[in-house]
Amino acid sequence: MIQPVSVAGIYSPPFRIVSKYFIASIFSFVILNFMLLFNYHSITGHHFQPKILSINHIATLGFITMIIFGAMFQLVPVVLEVKLFSSFLAEIQFWIYSTGVILLVYKFWNFDSSLSFLFPALLLSLVMIIFSINIILSMIRVKSWNITGTYIASAIFWLLITALAGYFLSKNLDKPFIRINHLQYLNLHAITAYIGWVGMIIMGVSFKLIPMFTLSHGYKMTLAKISLVIINAGLLGANWIMHYPETGFYTKIFGSLIFIGFVLYLIQIFIIFKKRIRKKLDIGLKFSAIAFVLMGIVSVLNYSFLFFDYESIANLTIVYGMLVTLGTFGMLIVGQMYKIVPFLVWYHKYGSKVGLEKVPMLKDMFNEKLAEGQLVLMLIGIILSSTGLLTKFYLLVLIGFLFLFLSSLIFAFNMFTIYRN
Amino acid sequence: MVTKEITKEDVIETLKSVIDPEIGLNIVDLGLVYDVQISEEMILIIMTLTTPGCPMHGSIVDWVQRIVSMSFPNKLIDVQLVWEPRWTPDKMSEEARRQLGI
Repeated sequence: MIQPVSVAGIYSPPFRIVSKYFIASIFSFVILNFMLLFNYHSITGHHFQPKILSINHIATLGFITMIIFGAMFQLVPVVLEVKLFSSFLAEIQFWIYSTGVILLVYKFWNFDSSLSFLFPALLLSLVMIIFSINIILSMIRVKSWNITGTYIASAIFWLLITALAGYFLSKNLDKPFIRINHLQYLNLHAITAYIGWVGMIIMGVSFKLIPMFTLSHGYKMTLAKISLVIINAGLLGANWIMHYPETGFYTKIFGSLIFIGFVLYLIQIFIIFKKRIRKKLDIGLKFSAIAFVLMGIVSVLNYSFLFFDYESIANLTIVYGMLVTLGTFGMLIVGQMYKIVPFLVWYHKYGSKVGLEKVPMLKDMFNEKLAEGQLVLMLIGIILSSTGLLTKFYLLVLIGFLFLFLSSLIFAFNMFTIYRN
Repeated sequence: MVTKEITKEDVIETLKSVIDPEIGLNIVDLGLVYDVQISEEMILIIMTLTTPGCPMHGSIVDWVQRIVSMSFPNKLIDVQLVWEPRWTPDKMSEEARRQLGI
């Protein structure tokens, strides 16, 4: 039986609000690569040090989370067929968030004693709460729930835990009020941020976007559902045991759950790619496919940390962090931006002209050959800098970061071209 | 003056000018148009999208409405978007398959 679908309830926030997040994220991506290039000699040793923490936060907050916020305001209404609760909150959140990110990155960079950790941490925590309220109040009106919605709901939960752990860390770094192992809480903060927040969002959204872009049909989502449950179980366990000493056995159990969850997710993605109708991968999907391969590599590496002591391998934690941040999440985000940004700009500029005049196709909105060049530079940059860090051959690190910086400039240029179209 | 009666084929031909900007194929060859019903006052188009929750959801409906209205200005145009039956690749035309390299 044919059931008509109402389109009246579909509503995304204005283009200018989402655009702010996207432009800020692109800008952060270039700054991040600039910081890496001009501080290549500092990216070494232990990861809990000012310069690395500063670069890490411009990556996770300025680049990754910034783009996720913007994308969520755009995607939640269309994917879940519900109106965004408040465009006003989305707008003011941007300004508070940008201020918080700049202050935190600056504070980490200089360890400036005149500026407390607490103020930026407070601003960022406030933003996480505003964002969560906005999305939760939008989602409670969803009529037809789907797996992407459940992943997003989990991600919101972990975002709040991440913010809580981050705030707690900042408060104690600022004026120690409790004796805690900062490294242990840093791990908790990082696991919930990377796997719970960024991971869950990326996984959930990929189940909607990848089939849509590849025209994939005729597969089951069983693995996606199992993956959701066991990754959440693993994360809850990891958060719980973090507060107890001597937890080696349980750490392995919960770590295994998370690892199996990622393996199942990647098998599900592989099935979706295999069932695709559009055989030829465009640039956005090429970036994404490489990101999924890297995700497999870092998942195995991460799991092996539970069983092997890599103390003797120089800079391995930093290389791991780079492979996750720039390799997996970075490449996936860049790839999806090559799909989403052209559409948003196209819709904004040409949507009302369809049928009245000739309008371009999405692939005509930017130079795809240049984007192919960006992909090659980014990949070579990651390989060279990782090899250089592992072998302590810092000239290689410098060349690798130079490649990465050039690739970020090409990305910014292509995005600028799309906006100017 | 005798006016030519509008046929289903006329409307479908018009709908071929609505192109999905992401895939680069028209909505008829993609198999998105399920039915066209023509009455004295109105043209009803029943169609779907390749996937529910597609960001082009509202916009494709607008484009169809606008383009068909321009071709048949004396008729009211109603576009109904449906998710059942679900779109499947076998609804695509031979031409669409050829262009996608299937």
